[in-house]
Amino acid sequence: MAFVVALMLYVGYHQARRQGGALAAPRLTQSSLAPDFSLESLDGKTMRLSDFRGKAVLLNFWATWCGPCKVEMPWFVDLQNQYGSQGLQIVGVAMDDASKEDIGKFAKDMGVNYPILIGKESVGDQYGGVPALPESFVITRDGKIMDKIIGLRGKADIEDAIKKALNTRPATSQASIEERSSVAR
Amino acid sequence: MLIFLAAAHLLSAQTLGKAPSLTFAAVPLVTAERAQQTMVNLNFRVPPGYHINSNTPKSEFLIPTALKMDLPTDIVLGKIEYPVGEDASFPFSPDEKLSVYSGDFTITVAVHPMQSVVPGKYEMHGVLRYQACDNAACFPPKTLPVSFEVKVVKEPPAHKANPAQSPHVHN
Repeated sequence: MAFVVALMLYVGYHQARRQGGALAAPRLTQSSLAPDFSLESLDGKTMRLSDFRGKAVLLNFWATWCGPCKVEMPWFVDLQNQYGSQGLQIVGVAMDDASKEDIGKFAKDMGVNYPILIGKESVGDQYGGVPALPESFVITRDGKIMDKIIGLRGKADIEDAIKKALNTRPATSQASIEERSSVAR
Repeated sequence: MLIFLAAAHLLSAQTLGKAPSLTFAAVPLVTAERAQQTMVNLNFRVPPGYHINSNTPKSEFLIPTALKMDLPTDIVLGKIEYPVGEDASFPFSPDEKLSVYSGDFTITVAVHPMQSVVPGKYEMHGVLRYQACDNAACFPPKTLPVSFEVKVVKEPPAHKANPAQSPHVHN
């Protein structure tokens, strides 16, 4: 029995290390509250995830050097056009060493129609370390993580997840709103 | 129970997108004459299922594989020769060819000890920077330490032509 417990601890330790390279990385699961953060956008504004409260959010971590990320971006443009009026907000977070100008040029070339934020390692850590890109989190209208998508999946899978998130209800209780107010900087 | 745990562990390793690590094969001691250029092969291996960009990727946004050496004073680094990348397309972008390395590849560096170098063994250090992807995801750039040892020897004595023994001299 003790051996089994020790083995489970070993497995848990290594899983935690893989997720973020640090044991401190939070373990986000379905229906976890999406950690709030504050990041600068390409146009110099400071944006918080909680600014999109009440909307279904697809939070996409990407980088200019990531080929699969580039494939997804036109899909996101289409999905933002198609579902934006129903309350979808796609948010890109560039986990990149490239300059803000280069990220901006890349996003412009891709015709991006949703906000791109300049990522920070601390925000990646809040989301489990983001060990591989692309990595997206589908967040319900009440701010909970509904789905986590690592790597390139089909557009239909992403669209299905977005539809489910759009069908959720916004948070109504003050407690739920306050829960999201711890902002990472 | 144990089998179940082991299976869960293996499954989690795949689904969490573990970043791959290149390996660098140890280089046998290199003997280099002073004032001469000696070529050194550095052999690397990309784990199966992954690829890295070549030194000349086809987009300005892709991160090239690049070796940076930090050599002792009086040992000059000559040209670094990278292999030509393999043109390959991947499921994430079937219509686009990328220039990549996969499997084993070799980078050749030229070391040139100056005339002033004291004969002996010298440790050469450097780092290889690379950025890997698999068929569905990419991993942040990583660096791999690279090192090899060079034994610098005196140049052989200058050859003194003896016309009497030279087969090329005809009287």
